[in-house]
Amino acid sequence: MNSLPHLARIFERLKRGYHLGPDDEPEFSALSSPRFEEYAAQFDALGLKLVRHEREFFYFEPDNAESVPDTLPRIAVFSYILIDHAANQGRPIEEFIFGQNFLLTTLPHFELDRYQALLRQVDVHEVKDLENLLKHMERIGWVKLEDNEEFRFLRPFHRVFTKCLELSAAGSSRGNEAQTSETNQSVPSSAAPKE
Amino acid sequence: MKINPQSFFNFCAQHATLLRAIAEHSGEISEADASRLIRANPGASEELPENARRRLKELQILVPTEPGGSLYLLADPVARLLTYLFDEANPATPEMIRGYVLSLETTGKRLTRALDEEDVSAVKRAFEEISQSLQRIHADLDETHHAILTEVSRYKTERSRVSVREKFKLIVHWMERFVEPMIEIVRSDGPLRATFDETERLLHRAREEALFNDHPALARNLRFLRLIRDHALRVFTQCRKEIQPLYESLRRSSFIAEGAARALEKLQSEGIAKWGSEPLIGVCALRFQNVPGDAAIALALRRVIEHPPEPPPVLEFATEESMPDALIRRLWLDALPESVRPELPVEDLLGWLVERHPGKDTAQVLAGFTELIFDTTFQAAFTDRAPLGYTTADGSLEASPVQLISA
Repeated sequence: MNSLPHLARIFERLKRGYHLGPDDEPEFSALSSPRFEEYAAQFDALGLKLVRHEREFFYFEPDNAESVPDTLPRIAVFSYILIDHAANQGRPIEEFIFGQNFLLTTLPHFELDRYQALLRQVDVHEVKDLENLLKHMERIGWVKLEDNEEFRFLRPFHRVFTKCLELSAAGSSRGNEAQTSETNQSVPSSAAPKE
Repeated sequence: MKINPQSFFNFCAQHATLLRAIAEHSGEISEADASRLIRANPGASEELPENARRRLKELQILVPTEPGGSLYLLADPVARLLTYLFDEANPATPEMIRGYVLSLETTGKRLTRALDEEDVSAVKRAFEEISQSLQRIHADLDETHHAILTEVSRYKTERSRVSVREKFKLIVHWMERFVEPMIEIVRSDGPLRATFDETERLLHRAREEALFNDHPALARNLRFLRLIRDHALRVFTQCRKEIQPLYESLRRSSFIAEGAARALEKLQSEGIAKWGSEPLIGVCALRFQNVPGDAAIALALRRVIEHPPEPPPVLEFATEESMPDALIRRLWLDALPESVRPELPVEDLLGWLVERHPGKDTAQVLAGFTELIFDTTFQAAFTDRAPLGYTTADGSLEASPVQLISA
């Protein structure tokens, strides 16, 4: 167990909420190796659950903290707005998110009054706030800032998609919206949302 | 009403773009719509729009949706002709294919009866009907295949601003309306195959019993049967393979978009206070909280105990020897109203200030001037007398005299 490579470095990064993806070598290769279970057991002894996402990246399962950091709602609203924008463009969401580099100044977040109102609720008022948010997302391994203006999303951003699928499934099962039930009627049984 | 074919085709030849525009117009066409389309797609010859509109109705290219109505539709035979001419495929519905299969079944029963009764002419008629049904099935299957592929490629290349969910609904429609039901019909244990097998058996029986001597027709029907039977399943399996990746991609995107939209809707309608933690994506953040050890406590105590005593700080209270300039200025300004009051009315306020306080610099003179003008117990009046020069300690001023009187 003690000979697990890069163990300290992996722990150091994961404990801060970082998500280890293919851009994070050599830690990523260490966790992707057949010794993943050994790493998981090592952290399990500390009460930490190492998650291997099906899209192949790694993170510590968050505990259900009573106090939610301000950044989490900001990241969520930022991400959902971008997804909403991609959907309105008619583009497959994942292709849109991962298939291009983004410029901070051309993000759609301040294009619509509706988006601005949503962002105001989480205290995001201007491009500078988005820049700070992106820096935070970089610290958890979701985006890579190429320079001051340009950035791209990294594989761990799939956690947002997973959450969206959960929300969609939860909404459908509650059946509290007419549109949802309409969609369910038109979707074949094989089309139930799943990651 | 009979339509002169020559007139019809002459008109069509001169208005091909107009006909295409009408064919692409979805739904009913009003008189205004027709006029707009005619103006946008003028014919080869110079013709008044009213004439073109009249001819569209005379030639029954546009037919009223109801007798005497003012809304029109493209006549069905013309629509079919245009579809054929423009090579635009319309998908056959599964119900249409089922209809053909039922028709084949019925014809098969008649053929069986004709064979039993050795009625040669009835056998011949049944053969002709079978041949027609097979041709229709073949044509419709091909057209449906073509239509589905066209639709798929349009979705792959089109970058229009149709939302993901709308696209997904359309793809689901194509899958559910055409592809899956068609596969149900044409698969190896489906109704089409069973009917074809029975039809083939009857055709063989007719040949064996020598009741139908048109061997080329018989061979053609048998060939057609086998061709369609093999072709149909392959065609729709291919269709499913074409459409499946698009369907999967849009299905996932649609659900992702739905989840995001739900979260944003909730935030919009209920506010951040009630948004809760459900839409949040949790991130691990370990915080280490330690109880101080004995060594740390001992160190802290030792630092307190061993801290060298110091006398308390002594504050020195001393009276300043000279009065600050700002205070002097303030006191002077405060005393000004009382010093000027006995001398009211003052005809030239600035002159009075300079004369009574010759040591004051320009800034102080103006501050005193402002103080008196804005004092509520006085009233200042600007005069239009000739400007005068006033010398201060550090410069000079030029202004028309201002009179100061009691308010």
